[in-house]
Amino acid sequence: MDSECVSILPRVCEVLAASGSSLPDDTSLEKLLDWLTTITQTGVSLLEACPCLLDFLSNVALNAAPGPGILSFTLKLAGLIGASEDGFKALEECSVLELVFAPHHWQESGLWEDPSLRIGWIQGLKAILQHSKALSFFVQADLLEPLLQLQTDSSLFVASAANQTLAHVLLLCQSLSSVGRDGTNKRDVEHNGVGVETNQNCSGVVSKVSEYLNESLVPRETSRLPRSQQILKLLTQLLVQVRPPLRETLLLTVLDSLEELATKSCSQLTLPLVDVLLAANSSLGDTDRIPKQRIGQLLSLVLDTKKPADVVQAAAALMRSHQTDPDHSAHAARVLLLPLDIVTGVSLVDKDSTDEELRILMTEQLQSKTCVSMICMCLTNMPQITVMAPDRLPCPQSLVVRAVLSLLRLCRGDCSSSSAGCVGVFRYVTGSSKVQKCAMEALSALSKSPEVKIGLAEVFKLLTEYLNCPLSEPSVLQKSYKVLINWIDVCTDLSCISDQLREDLTQAVRKRACDTRWEARDSTVEFLGHLAEVRSCRKSGGEEREPSNALLGGRAFAVPLLKEALQDPESYVRASSIAALAQTLTPSWQQGAPVTQEQVEIVTRLQEILSQDSEGFARRAVVKYFIAWFSSCSSPTSCPLLVQHVPAVLSQGAADLDWEVKLHTLQLAELLLDQAFPDPAPPHPYAVTPEGLIHGEDEESALLGSLNGVVDRGVVSALFCGLVDCDRPVALKACQLLLRLRAAVCPPTASAADTGVSCKLPGRSWAQEIRKIQGTNTDSEGGSAVGSEARGEAVEESSVGVREALRSLDLDGKLSILTQSSDHVYNSPLSLLQDILTASTPHSHLTSEPGQEVIVDCY
Amino acid sequence: MSSNSSPPPSCWTVDWTPPLSSISCLFLWCTGEIVLSIYLWGILWSALVILLCFYSLCRISPRLSKLPGWISKDGTVNLEKELKECAGRVFVDSQPEFCLPERELLDLSTIDVILISNYHCMMALPYITEHTGFTGTVYATEPTLQIGRLLMEELVNFMERVPKAQSATCWKNKEIQRMLPGPLKDAVDVWTWKRCYSMQEVNSALSKVQLVGYSQKVELFGAVQVSPLSSGYSLGSSNWIIQSHHEKVSYVSGSSLLTTHPQPMDQSSLKNSDVLILTGLTQMPTANPDGMLGEFCSNLAMTIRAGGNVLVPCYSSGVIYDLLECLYQFIDNANLGTTPFYFISPVANSSLEFSQIFAEWLCHNKQTKVYLPEPPFPHAELIQTNKLKHYPSIHGDFSSEFRQPCVVFTGHPSLRFGDVVHFMELWGKSGLNTVIFTEPDFSYLDALAPYQPLAMKCVYCPIDTRLNFHQVSKFLKEVQPLHVVCPEQYTQPPLTQSHRSDLMLELQPPPMPYRRCAVLNLPFRRCYERVYILPELANSLVPSEVKPGITVATVSAVLHSKDNKHTLQSVPKPPPAAPSKKRKRVIEEPPATLAPKPLLSGAVPLEAFLATLQKHGITEVKVEETGEGHILHLQAEDTLIQLEEDGTHIVCDNNEPLRTTLRDLVLRFLQKL
Repeated sequence: MDSECVSILPRVCEVLAASGSSLPDDTSLEKLLDWLTTITQTGVSLLEACPCLLDFLSNVALNAAPGPGILSFTLKLAGLIGASEDGFKALEECSVLELVFAPHHWQESGLWEDPSLRIGWIQGLKAILQHSKALSFFVQADLLEPLLQLQTDSSLFVASAANQTLAHVLLLCQSLSSVGRDGTNKRDVEHNGVGVETNQNCSGVVSKVSEYLNESLVPRETSRLPRSQQILKLLTQLLVQVRPPLRETLLLTVLDSLEELATKSCSQLTLPLVDVLLAANSSLGDTDRIPKQRIGQLLSLVLDTKKPADVVQAAAALMRSHQTDPDHSAHAARVLLLPLDIVTGVSLVDKDSTDEELRILMTEQLQSKTCVSMICMCLTNMPQITVMAPDRLPCPQSLVVRAVLSLLRLCRGDCSSSSAGCVGVFRYVTGSSKVQKCAMEALSALSKSPEVKIGLAEVFKLLTEYLNCPLSEPSVLQKSYKVLINWIDVCTDLSCISDQLREDLTQAVRKRACDTRWEARDSTVEFLGHLAEVRSCRKSGGEEREPSNALLGGRAFAVPLLKEALQDPESYVRASSIAALAQTLTPSWQQGAPVTQEQVEIVTRLQEILSQDSEGFARRAVVKYFIAWFSSCSSPTSCPLLVQHVPAVLSQGAADLDWEVKLHTLQLAELLLDQAFPDPAPPHPYAVTPEGLIHGEDEESALLGSLNGVVDRGVVSALFCGLVDCDRPVALKACQLLLRLRAAVCPPTASAADTGVSCKLPGRSWAQEIRKIQGTNTDSEGGSAVGSEARGEAVEESSVGVREALRSLDLDGKLSILTQSSDHVYNSPLSLLQDILTASTPHSHLTSEPGQEVIVDCY
Repeated sequence: MSSNSSPPPSCWTVDWTPPLSSISCLFLWCTGEIVLSIYLWGILWSALVILLCFYSLCRISPRLSKLPGWISKDGTVNLEKELKECAGRVFVDSQPEFCLPERELLDLSTIDVILISNYHCMMALPYITEHTGFTGTVYATEPTLQIGRLLMEELVNFMERVPKAQSATCWKNKEIQRMLPGPLKDAVDVWTWKRCYSMQEVNSALSKVQLVGYSQKVELFGAVQVSPLSSGYSLGSSNWIIQSHHEKVSYVSGSSLLTTHPQPMDQSSLKNSDVLILTGLTQMPTANPDGMLGEFCSNLAMTIRAGGNVLVPCYSSGVIYDLLECLYQFIDNANLGTTPFYFISPVANSSLEFSQIFAEWLCHNKQTKVYLPEPPFPHAELIQTNKLKHYPSIHGDFSSEFRQPCVVFTGHPSLRFGDVVHFMELWGKSGLNTVIFTEPDFSYLDALAPYQPLAMKCVYCPIDTRLNFHQVSKFLKEVQPLHVVCPEQYTQPPLTQSHRSDLMLELQPPPMPYRRCAVLNLPFRRCYERVYILPELANSLVPSEVKPGITVATVSAVLHSKDNKHTLQSVPKPPPAAPSKKRKRVIEEPPATLAPKPLLSGAVPLEAFLATLQKHGITEVKVEETGEGHILHLQAEDTLIQLEEDGTHIVCDNNEPLRTTLRDLVLRFLQKL
């Protein structure tokens, strides 16, 4: 703990106790509490380190003069101190404990009305309840009653905090009881005469809380619904965390009420009720006294509700939980597929297996506006349905695909495949992009199902129609492309795609590349890139073909479109097209294919974008393009086009105004460094390396050769430039890379004055900065020629020895500064305490000299 | 058949599907004392069944001139000279003819007024006003008149470019027509079809047009006022309000809520209508205009990038302004800056220039440009920068400056006449070229039928900015008319898409549908008429207050009605005695000389009246309650008194003194005027 902080803290406490109105900002007290919490977490006793805190607590508790904010802080601080038994004892001894945690104390002063004080009380109480003494205090002071009352507080934050604290109380009871039952501790506990009392306290608390839960669970009137929701949430939380026997006790108490709720089928409580039942279901074991079947029956009861919206919600919650038994999953799947069945007319759910009444009610519900949300809910759960065992599904997954396709057709206004039973739904579904997007997602999920490949041609046809449709929104187009990629990705044979379909798809993609909406153009170029990345699939004859070749004619189709998109007026599209070009050309780079004229043109255009484009996205994409090229190239040095352009990219990228461009440039530089100075293979632990071989002449000359190489390609200049960059991430990255370079080229044994490879420093500002740093550091070490040159503020181009520079730049010091966050000074505890003190000063000043206005100039 | 040796053939087809809004014009007859016929013009162009010909095409294409003639399968009917077969379809080889608006129900000479909604729907005006005895007035806005004139002029020009040929009439014979294939067999009223009008007839028809401005009130014979309101569809397009002092009928046709070049639709003035007649909704309810515009641009760019040409068959006014504006923004974005755009029409120049001078009829944004001053439409800049060039025809300057790949806008959208025919023939064989249909009036498949087989790509992007069902529902919620009258087609989903409940009007109360030739009684009665009173007569009135705030006075006056205006004038004083006997007799019984009887008002309170009767010795009274009031039976006197809301009757036989007494007792409770 900082001694300066300790010395300031008493004055801070004085200020806070006097008045909290002049705090620097709303978060000061929270930050102060966070700092104190951090101290306790390190194992330091707060009262020992800061004895002034106890005085502060008693002062505030007795005085109660400061505002509710300070009082709330005081309560939380009391909780923090009392969390340890020593602290608790100290608080007890000075009678602070009873005072601060007695609700009537605050009620009498009228401060209880303030929610922030109630929050402070709850959180303080929660913090303090860590040991048996605290529990005894809790019981003796009869604090359970006010805590239960706060469960339904008018403030949602207070109610929620009270909820969590009640759960915490029960968990504490559980842990203290288990300590009591533990054979090793039992004797000590009993010896202290505390064990019996603790057990009594625990059982008393548990019984009161259980009684409360049971009474509050079933709402007797509508106004009580929020309370029931809160209780159900609490129950879920408890059932997840508590162990037997407490879990059984709780469940046994509330089981009848839960059944009553399930029978009542109250819409607002359906979801929290399902959560409780699922939590109970997952936590119950075979040895528990409550049979799992009972919970299962209740779940079935909820799934048999006759309110379509509720039952769909319940089924969705059940599906998402991933933890129900197969019967319930099957039931939930039937419920979720029913709306699709009704709307599309595809028989997904056997009429005998569903409740006729539910079917009728759901058909009615689907004729109203709410049909969109219901259908979307069913569709969003499709991923869960796809992973279900086929024997648990009411129909084969190929039928589900058909239904989703049918729904997508309906959304386009094509009613030919739908049943006549649900005409009303078309009004809401036709043209609904929400349903379209959900259905696309569902179709995407269904692609992963192994048994649906039969419908490939049908899926392709529909997606092509969507891509062709002038009414498709850009977001729907983007989803269509995504689904197409997913289906192509899992497809093993594209021979089922007819030539006409290929032609239609080609036309659609070509057209969308010219779309008036940039989002559509962007999705199209992205699609071309993703398609190039889809792994090869095998034709039925055994011949292997890339899907992009099989469907769209491969690079010959994509590259001209992408080249055209490099001229796009929208920077996002330009950036996406650059990325897509990299994806498309990667295979040829990997294969080391000869460079074509087309690639030369592309690179020239990319250089133009890097040097002239006004938008950062496109420039970032250019640097990433070169990164991708360099990474995927089997032998970058053997690709003259790449070697030729990399220095320019490094030079332009390092001088860019966008920090991300600069960072990507450094990543490219890193690749070059990796190539020049590969990590040596880890030496064998028992291998003996002869001293003389470490830096032999050959090795030195190879090292110098590599260093020369990276200097010539502009890597070192880019790194120096990055080192003095005003953007911290850039400077940090550059510093790390320079350190790496130093480790590679500056062996500790070599003399500091050796000369070798030098790097040209241009007459730019960053070079001056480097000279300046270098000069300062070398001056401090005794002075050098370079230093004096730097002091002379030379702006002409000059050279600097790389090794010498690397040694003299104090990279380690720079790294330690850069590793700290830029606001580390501003956010330090000392700064916080000083701020609190400073904020109180003008206040006192003003009071002493009224009428004198303090003008604060922010900038 | 050779185009050199014999008159070139022309072919028609009648397989034209009536669009959704096929009911085009309504005849409104204001009944009552006033007889006024108003012809409300809806979508006349749609009703004009253009018998699509490819006459001019045949002059260029030997292929079409050599098409085989049609002979029935059994060989009994030989119409080789009139009917031609092309790609499995049969066309009529004749001068183009036009189907006229409905004339069976009314005698056009009795029409008093024609109100024109927009320039697209006035194409048949000469057929109505010329050679029919029409003597009425036609009302239209200035842009409607001017651009309508341009469109008619263009049509006449297209027709006159080709020599007149004999009309084919044999196939119209009922017996023969019955044996013909496909759509020809089902064509109706074929004998009423007419050839295109002449420029002289156009001028004569347009001379009958009287110009009106938006919201200008035009009095029609004192009976009603009509007033055009902006409908937002095209330059000068109007909805009409027809109102009397107490009734209001709105006629909404061809309206748009989209932000395009015309002044926005005036909705507020349509509020509080007794009846709203709704027609002219979009013919393409499923084709969103924005989506179609986007589709148009992307297909255009795609074709140009691939080195092909784009042909846009369109009218010379209307959507073309929006297309050019859209392209103005798009061409630079799509790197099409160097591609030439050609607009070829006999009226291209006038159309482009007219659009720039009707500033007051444009949307707000374009109006503000005029004050900068800048041309409201960006096509001026396209012309200045030589990106858009316009020519009256393909001959002359165009042929020397023509450069490919390019985009050509030209008519006629039916592909049967006009310069478009040449481009279809020129570019049809190459798959690189594209024809993009933007006008919704014609089925593109039918339009393309005579050009089959066709290698050129075809794209259908119908841009119809008129109200769709969703927009019209919102609009009607906004203006809340008491009754809506609309074509029957709007009240049910399209036949081919019976599930599309979103493609119909669902209103509460349900709209009154009408069908072809139906006669409808509009659901309101004329109950009141405004009557003016002269000041001197008004001065002589003696008002008396019957209830707080209600004052009445009796008036004795002469009602003077002229031009549907009614005025109360003072009763003329008796003229001096005339010598003739006949006069004297008239003077003997002047109605004004009799003192008017006092008018009574108020109600007789039962209890008080019974008490009064008792005071006057009438005690045996049996009171019976009826639906309208009470019957008092004075048993001793054998007399009945009926007290009702609007009258009191005393039934008393042979006892005049009792009747008088009872009358006076009743009068005590009533007020006298």
